[in-house]
Amino acid sequence: MKKLYLSSIVPVLLGAVLFAFVPVANETVAELEIGAKAPMTDVPVQDVSGKMITLNEVAMENGLLVNFSCNTCPWVARWEDRYNPIAQLAKENKIGVIALNPNTAYRQKGESLQDMKERAQKSNYQFPYAIDEGSKFASAFGATRTPHIYLFNSDMELVYRGAIDDNAHSAKDVEHPYLKNAIKNLASGQTIDPQATKSLGCTIKWPED
Amino acid sequence: MIKRFGKVYIFQLLLLFTVFLFGSAFFSTLSNSQNPLLKDVNGDALQKIIESYKGERAVLVNVWATWCAPCVEEFPELVKLQREFPEQLRVVFVSADFPDSRDRALQFLREQNVDWTTYFKTGNDQPFIEALSSTWSGALPFTKVLGKNGELVASWEQSADYEKFKQNVQTAIKQ
Repeated sequence: MKKLYLSSIVPVLLGAVLFAFVPVANETVAELEIGAKAPMTDVPVQDVSGKMITLNEVAMENGLLVNFSCNTCPWVARWEDRYNPIAQLAKENKIGVIALNPNTAYRQKGESLQDMKERAQKSNYQFPYAIDEGSKFASAFGATRTPHIYLFNSDMELVYRGAIDDNAHSAKDVEHPYLKNAIKNLASGQTIDPQATKSLGCTIKWPED
Repeated sequence: MIKRFGKVYIFQLLLLFTVFLFGSAFFSTLSNSQNPLLKDVNGDALQKIIESYKGERAVLVNVWATWCAPCVEEFPELVKLQREFPEQLRVVFVSADFPDSRDRALQFLREQNVDWTTYFKTGNDQPFIEALSSTWSGALPFTKVLGKNGELVASWEQSADYEKFKQNVQTAIKQ
């Protein structure tokens, strides 16, 4: 009887253990953690003026705002009316601003440096717009979409990441201006809450294998 | 007398026209948000829809948009997959198009010969993203495959090819 009991329970237990280890494929990029140091801060990138700049050079007394952006994403187009006002707010609060274009696979499809120059001119960007060759910065930051925001403090530690606000469609209908609040709180030494948000956006066009 | 009748006639005609105008606008809105091919959904409602297939079918949720080139590229593969496993799988398409592009999304579904109910995302992004997956960053396209038992088999951002979809769906059907 004992033998029979063991012979039936052992395979069941074994099955349960094996089932627990069936891998779930969860392919998500590891984003830079809150508190982590900004990566690649001394690596130069070319902006639309042709100048080579580094994140350290762009950063100001109170920190740095990095926006992964592009030319071809409708979400960028919807949020773009907030780009210059936010850049202005950041500069007033002594926070440097840069937009990086990580869409390597689309350099021939509207994301070339020339296309970026035209976009920056058309939209009158008041901040450097630089090319992220090989999507290396996006990869190091764990960025996944455009627009995708990373805000660092004066020690270049990440204090906020995610969305610009909660309404891409309409600036006047925004209920939670996450980034504006984070900039103001960072400059005034107050707690930033939330530190991470999510929004829909265009997937980054990574280099093709 | 004729003048009086004329006035009444014109008034009635105007009234009829107004009723027709408002009526058609109302029904057009109604049919748009309740079109069986593209129904409005928020994160919580979508979760319930997905759960309703538990024990019956494997589920593949795909969040797409007409403006998203990789989404449009992989879309036919998912339609093909649904046709290949009509009884064992439900492909749940969720359009994340902007509200003013809803008609374009409907048109695309018709062009792709989709003949089952799909969904149109409503509400704020954050609760919608969190309701679908805590690990999804919000980038499109997004795909999530659930086994017949409701357990997560796989989820990923970025596009995929037919083989990857099929492999995961076959695993999901066996569960």
